[in-house]
Amino acid sequence: MHWIIEFIVRYRNFCSLLLTVLFSLWMISGTENKQIATARFFTSTIFYPLQYIVNQASTIRNIFEENRRLRREVVTLSVKVAALQEQAAQNSRLRGMLDIAQNYQYELTPVRVIAHDPSESFRSIIIDGGKKHGIQQWMPVIGEQGVVGKVVQVMNGLSLVQLLRDPANRTSVMIQKSRTIGILETNNGHDFFIRCRSHEDVKPGDTATTSGLGGIYPSGLLVGTISKISDSNDPLFKKAWIKLSIDFDHIEELFVIRLSAQWSSFVNEFDSIGFEQ
Amino acid sequence: MIKSIIIWICIFVAAVVLQTSLVPSFAIMGVKPDLLILLLFFLAIKTGMMPAIFIGFFIGLAQDIYSPSILGQCALAKTIAGFFAGIFNEKVMRLDPLFLGVLLILSFFVNDITVYVVQFAKTGSSFTSIAQELLRSTLFRALYTLLFAVVPILWEQHYTAKIRR
Repeated sequence: MHWIIEFIVRYRNFCSLLLTVLFSLWMISGTENKQIATARFFTSTIFYPLQYIVNQASTIRNIFEENRRLRREVVTLSVKVAALQEQAAQNSRLRGMLDIAQNYQYELTPVRVIAHDPSESFRSIIIDGGKKHGIQQWMPVIGEQGVVGKVVQVMNGLSLVQLLRDPANRTSVMIQKSRTIGILETNNGHDFFIRCRSHEDVKPGDTATTSGLGGIYPSGLLVGTISKISDSNDPLFKKAWIKLSIDFDHIEELFVIRLSAQWSSFVNEFDSIGFEQ
Repeated sequence: MIKSIIIWICIFVAAVVLQTSLVPSFAIMGVKPDLLILLLFFLAIKTGMMPAIFIGFFIGLAQDIYSPSILGQCALAKTIAGFFAGIFNEKVMRLDPLFLGVLLILSFFVNDITVYVVQFAKTGSSFTSIAQELLRSTLFRALYTLLFAVVPILWEQHYTAKIRR
């Protein structure tokens, strides 16, 4: 017995090799059922803690993958949400325009703004409606919030619209409550006013609409509200400052009122009698 | 002694975890580095034959249990690979980095030859296909794993040289 232990200690490396090789060969030579039983034994006794750790690591890896997938999904959904919000906003605007179309008795042509005057205080826009859509020069253009301007140049599929904010533009407006009539003026394209007589009962908050005079805009189109009253140089007059209802920086969908200028019939008559202009 | 055994067991458990979780991400055309053989090799070089034989056996057995192979196949292969690498352990001879690299590649071949011989004996696969697989798969796997071994081998050499000085 003693010599066996001495032999094993002396040749421990080879004994270890022999032991493990024999054990491996025993496992290899076993039948499939025997192999499964042996594997089950090792799994349930020795390798269970290892399996637990490996499973945990795999779970963590899956969490990382899921995190990446969810991040991608968040980005995709954000893009979709932005697109839906844009569509919702457009839908809201179009609904507003539909209301306008129903409220006005005039024939309206819907148009879209396709270009702005590139200057800092842009005074004109280009719309995607022209002669082929029945649009003519001097037709008024309105938006959801009120008067925008008038068509000053018409091409086949496009038109140039002069905005109210153009200092060269002159529009006859009426204060609804007091029926005061004045010409809408601006010096800088931002601040608008009308001159009215000092005794006129004009107060901040009053609504200003188109008067129907001037032959371009029909009466009753919303222009804005009186924001303040100030004195002018002439003691007989005062200035009523008007805050326009239209926001020129955010105009996208508009309507052209298909209404010919009221003086065009006179022009035709003058032409017919050979009146020299 | 016990402390060193526990440290090596912990290292191997970590290696198994890495091998099954992180290493598949490094696969290039299906070839993955084999951290288990790499660690077994270093264990054999550092501690000698006997720990390498037993650790190799248990690591191989774990692989057998967790993969659909013949039970005992990897255990035998890793045992023999551990024995082979253990022959050249630091206690017996001084090893330079190039020789260590060659030894690592040879350990891969010893491991894979054993695996294929068992497969040949058990399933009767074609020996030609086994030889082709050995050249194609084993060599690339060994070389790829060698890349991962370069840093520890050089660091070890630098560390040993520093101690000697």
